[in-house]
Amino acid sequence: MLFFSFFKTLTNQTVTIELKNDIRIRGILKSVDQYLNIKLDDVEVLDLAQYPHLSSVKNMFIRGSVVRYVMLPRSEVDVGLLEDATRREAANQAGKAR
Amino acid sequence: MADTEDAGASVSEPLDLVRLSLDEIVFVKLRGDRELKGRLHAYDSHCNLVLGDVEETIYVVEEDENEEETTRTIKKQEEMLFVRGDSVVLISPQA
Amino acid sequence: MSFFGFDTTLPRDRGRGPGAPKGFFENSDPFAQVALADKFVDGDAVDFEDTYDGLGDQLDDDQDEFNDDTFGGGGETAPVGRDFDFFGRTAGVADVIGEEQVRYSLQNPQAAPAPAQRAAPATAVPAESTSRRTGYEKYSEPGYIPDLQAKSSVWTQKAEPTPAPAPAPAPSRKIMSLEEVEAIEAQMRHRGQPIGGLPPQQIPQSMADLYQRHPQHFPTLPDGFPQLPPELQAQLEKGGMPHPPPGMPELYGGPGPAMPPGAPFLQNNLPPQNMPPQGPRHAGPPQGQRPQNMQQQPPPPPSSRAPNNGLPVITNPQQLMHLTEEQRNTYLVEDAKRAKRNHKIFLLSRGNGLMTPQDKNFITRIQLQQLVAAAGNVADSDPEAVLAEDFYYQVYSQIRGAPRQHPHQPLGHFAQTYLLQTGNRLGGNRHRHPLQGADNHMQRMQQQVQRAVEAAKAKPKNKQLIIEGSLGKISFSNAKAPKPMLNIKRPDSSEGPRPKKVQSDLSLSDRKSILTNIERVYSALMSMEDMERTMPPPPEEGDADAIQEHMEWRQKLQSLNQKLWKALKVMEPIVPNSTTPHPFIAFLSHPKGKKAIPRIFRHIDQEQRVTILTMIVVHLDSLDVVRLAQSIPGEAQPSLAVREAIDLFSLAVMPSLLQYVNEAPFNIIIGLLGLVIAQTHVQSVARTKVGLGILTMLLSRAELVKEAGQAPERDWQQWVEKFNVLFDTLEPVLADIFPGSINSGDDMYVWQFLAAVGIGASPEQQQRLVIAVKDRVMETVGYSKSLPADMSSQRLGNVNLFMRAIGLDVELLG
Repeated sequence: MLFFSFFKTLTNQTVTIELKNDIRIRGILKSVDQYLNIKLDDVEVLDLAQYPHLSSVKNMFIRGSVVRYVMLPRSEVDVGLLEDATRREAANQAGKAR
Repeated sequence: MADTEDAGASVSEPLDLVRLSLDEIVFVKLRGDRELKGRLHAYDSHCNLVLGDVEETIYVVEEDENEEETTRTIKKQEEMLFVRGDSVVLISPQA
Repeated sequence: MSFFGFDTTLPRDRGRGPGAPKGFFENSDPFAQVALADKFVDGDAVDFEDTYDGLGDQLDDDQDEFNDDTFGGGGETAPVGRDFDFFGRTAGVADVIGEEQVRYSLQNPQAAPAPAQRAAPATAVPAESTSRRTGYEKYSEPGYIPDLQAKSSVWTQKAEPTPAPAPAPAPSRKIMSLEEVEAIEAQMRHRGQPIGGLPPQQIPQSMADLYQRHPQHFPTLPDGFPQLPPELQAQLEKGGMPHPPPGMPELYGGPGPAMPPGAPFLQNNLPPQNMPPQGPRHAGPPQGQRPQNMQQQPPPPPSSRAPNNGLPVITNPQQLMHLTEEQRNTYLVEDAKRAKRNHKIFLLSRGNGLMTPQDKNFITRIQLQQLVAAAGNVADSDPEAVLAEDFYYQVYSQIRGAPRQHPHQPLGHFAQTYLLQTGNRLGGNRHRHPLQGADNHMQRMQQQVQRAVEAAKAKPKNKQLIIEGSLGKISFSNAKAPKPMLNIKRPDSSEGPRPKKVQSDLSLSDRKSILTNIERVYSALMSMEDMERTMPPPPEEGDADAIQEHMEWRQKLQSLNQKLWKALKVMEPIVPNSTTPHPFIAFLSHPKGKKAIPRIFRHIDQEQRVTILTMIVVHLDSLDVVRLAQSIPGEAQPSLAVREAIDLFSLAVMPSLLQYVNEAPFNIIIGLLGLVIAQTHVQSVARTKVGLGILTMLLSRAELVKEAGQAPERDWQQWVEKFNVLFDTLEPVLADIFPGSINSGDDMYVWQFLAAVGIGASPEQQQRLVIAVKDRVMETVGYSKSLPADMSSQRLGNVNLFMRAIGLDVELLG
């Protein structure tokens, strides 16, 4: 649940999502679920010339599994806290496995 | 959380090694001839990652007029990057 | 016809005492009564016997041979554990029906009790049930109020006594009219009442149902936020739908064709949702043969239509005999109507009394857990679980002031921990506010030096004119003019002595063990932070339990402290002239090691703090931030990585050290200065920001102690000796400790250091000091004239701090 928790803090931030088919979409992260499916608003497709069929899309739901990267605003990420959250998650996982 | 005290004590599982690299520079190889180098801020059991100050290198194989293959590299910088775990091939400390 | 290997003998075959309670069908056949009554009234009668096709009599009851093979064990004797405890699940649903009826009865307060109807089920407690069925044991524990008759009616294949016709849902209600009964049905149908004993679908569903009714029980569910995962949403919707969930119809088999035609309305009016719970399907009698409502009971054989105890008014056939013909007719008509009603009520109320309130609570809790688990929902009432699953969001929200989902939870502690950390703008945030953290530290150092300067000024060594009131000018903390503090020190490029020992970089395995140590430290830290949150309230006098609790808590914290201390490796022996750095120094070479220091300092005692400080001081010149900050000929400044490391050290480590030094006794300060002189290469240490920072710390603290008059003369003598050594060592390089050229800007820390030296110096030393740095003073003063006013005053302020320390002022320079 770490990344679900993480992405929840990034709602209403502008992010750029790169899909596994190289399409890059910038938009406002509206919501995310535990599968890291993503809802984007006010989308803007970078390299729109390559993907003209996307020109009229204003918002979209992106299945989590097709995402390659999500570029995030650094100012909205508390890396110290995130690292500790990661440590906790790792410990929790280890605890469950035992 | 009750286990946090023990978790760091032993490196018994592969991901425990990754934990050592938290807040360190890591090298990540991805599917599709891509490599990343950046500071590891988060990971989970699916190898989802968050990296800071990332340099992405993409290797593109091109054929020139002599039908010889040449590899071109594209480099990109990102300040903060979430990487979906299913693209990750390997995570290695430093580069 | 036993499915679970239970006692299959029919009650009528089992020698039963006359007072023993009897089941519904044994005692009365409502349809038979209907038929009887109707005969008397208008002759348009439907006799049960006429319409009953007798298929039930053909039931093959002897195919139990393989039950043991299938389910293992010796039938009745072997324990089956909880594997077949379908009862719990069945009961979970029966519960809902019960609730529904209670609710209905509350809505219909005119309902009056029918005590006679209730008497039978309440008294019937066949003892054999408890002894035989495994998985039931806990229900017979003390505290559990058994209502085993009802239970066995749900369970058994045999014609175990079922509850008498109408174990009315609520203790106080009269016999319901048909309209009322149908109203209940309609209501239940409308609500899509979940029925059936096959979780998991049903259990979450009924929970969803609960949730709809009592949303206030889920106060932590956010609105608007997609906190509810899709499945749960679906469940919720399903719960509200008037259809059985998928899979349900299959359970019900046929529409119950064995229903006597005399009661066709039953068939029509009973929606499948109202089917009573049942166990897994099995190859029992063909479904069509089973009366819809009694799937696990053979239809009552005609012979069992004996007069009964269960029916209300007439409890004994003899009574009927004594009545007149007319009375009997009237009675029977009444009775038939009642029987019809009772039958319907019975259908609705089979589960009544199955569970005690404790059972219901228990089931509700299980259901909640399953709901949460199935949904992966963090709307758990347990804050620890929320924290475990949603740590980042919860703490981040609190730090950044976003509305939290669980405002009642005790996260303040964590937020504080990370606020303190991010308050220093460690980590990524330092990129966002690059100056703030540096300012904080530099300001603190500045304050310390200023205090020392002021203290010294109160007892001026030189009878020089002090321009009072100009103090106000020395203000480095003006918010509108942040100083470019992060232009990292550029070590002077002139040739200076190199560090005495060159340490190799860590080998790979060393690196791994260091990182492992660091992660251990973090684990211990996080455990301690968790522990702090759970600190028991301070025990009151004489409360032995609380004292005990507190002691245990302290002990745990202490053992964590030891764990932390061990992982820090501070106490590892120092190997002189070793090529590999001390483990603790290696620890500090990693960013996360530096970042851990403030958190560590909060959890260790003074002795441990001074040990750490000593360790750092002894190894000052092998710290990465000192070692790597030495100027490399040809390069203007250290690499970016080194600059970042210095930055981080200044932000994370120095404040903790400064805080300790500010409270440290004088002898420790003397000792530390002695260690710097004896153990490190002071000249190279002095060329770095961190090195000078630590020296400044010690010098200014000593001055404050002295001015406060707390220093014994002997100690002071010792200090002066050390100070003189330091001064003599540094004098030749004083001009070289400034970073880079005059316009680089970041030389504040040098002026602070010079000021600290200046206060402690003798007049003669002050003179030498001025001579050593006067070029830089003049340059800076001259340079600042070309700067904008605020930058100029800032630069002059830096210089003036030093000037005032030695009793001068830049204004005197004209």
